Amino acid sequence: MIDYTFQWGVILPHLPYLLGGAWVTLHLTFSGFMLGLIIGILAAVAQVYGTTFLRRIVTAYVIFFTNTPSLVTAFFLFFGLPEFGIVISPYNCILINLALNAGAYLADVFRGGINSVRKPELEAAQVMGFSLLQQVQYVIAPHIAKTQYGPISNLYIIFILGSALASIFGVEELTGRAFNLDAELFRSLEIYTILAGLYVALTIVASTVLKLIGRYCFRIKTRVL
Amino acid sequence: MTLSMAAIGSALGFIFAMTLVYFRTWPSYWLIPLRYLIVAYVEVFRRIPFLVLAFLVFFATKALGLNISLFFVACATVVLMATAFIAEIIRAGFESIRPNQWESAEVLNFGRARTIFYVIWPQTLPIVVPSAFSYFVMFIKETSLTSQIGAFELMTAGKYFNNIGITPILSFGTCLALYFLLSYPLTLLGHYVERRLKGRFNRPTGEEAG
Repeated sequence: MIDYTFQWGVILPHLPYLLGGAWVTLHLTFSGFMLGLIIGILAAVAQVYGTTFLRRIVTAYVIFFTNTPSLVTAFFLFFGLPEFGIVISPYNCILINLALNAGAYLADVFRGGINSVRKPELEAAQVMGFSLLQQVQYVIAPHIAKTQYGPISNLYIIFILGSALASIFGVEELTGRAFNLDAELFRSLEIYTILAGLYVALTIVASTVLKLIGRYCFRIKTRVL
Repeated sequence: MTLSMAAIGSALGFIFAMTLVYFRTWPSYWLIPLRYLIVAYVEVFRRIPFLVLAFLVFFATKALGLNISLFFVACATVVLMATAFIAEIIRAGFESIRPNQWESAEVLNFGRARTIFYVIWPQTLPIVVPSAFSYFVMFIKETSLTSQIGAFELMTAGKYFNNIGITPILSFGTCLALYFLLSYPLTLLGHYVERRLKGRFNRPTGEEAG
């Protein structure tokens, strides 16, 4: 019943091409995630300290983006923006979409972080005559960095996986280049197996690096691998 | 279609994940290879993008010569993915149970299945359920990617409307609204169940237990 013979040899010469795609994936997700971090911090601050109106808008944004598929929002941006006369490249479109999505999830994470700072610690800081900025710098920020670093790095891995959908819009990242190879060589099963393996390798490398950063920058004790 | 896909996927995934964890925590020597196999499965499938996995399953079924519908291909993908993700959270839930619970069940002469179902499972439930719900929402959202292998679901309908000339704002906007209507109640339900379960079991936290 299985009459399929694997032919790995055909694909091997094209491996560097695929690995180049991995680089695109990494810097797409990295820049998107950094934008998302900025959006997330701003949104969380607005949710905790903002006026009621601002808080409602930000909450609506968070709920909307955490409950709709990023594929659909990407389609919406990709086809919707030109209707308003804004024409952007697929790469930038995916970047914006990634940043908006990451921003919504990270806003939740940061809000949880701000809310989980113990009241007495803040009161102690106030008694010591810390200004709001100093409270943030010396009390809230270190606390968030320490407690929320794990969830944030998990989100980063999830967004690396999520960036595979950029290929649908013609961005030549890891999956996009695999599509191109598939169209050229017709060895679909082998190509997608290799692709899956590459993603596993990529995320393992990424999470190891993130754990090392966490260990040396924030003194978080985790098991690396 | 989207809903049934996600529902089948999550339900089967949950059952498979329970079985996996059941075997993974089995403390006997001749099952060690099986345990490593399960760990490998969970680690690998949590690290493959849904889109890539969908294509892989799609081409694998074609290579095996199976002639099954795209709907089942999509379901199989969701099940594979859900099993890995949910197995991980159930394992984390099991690990959060203190070992003396296992020991006292053993002292009471409970068998393995009885220990898990009467002692361990009720305690892990409040930990597992909230994150399980957020994964269910994630699976609803991920099924939109199966439109790429041609399975018919909400996103495919949206693309169809776009292709027959309705403005993208309208067609994809409707799509967005419908997805939102599907997943937001689930999020709310997750929060509700979380609150209920927290009240019912009233577990001592780690700090109190020392």
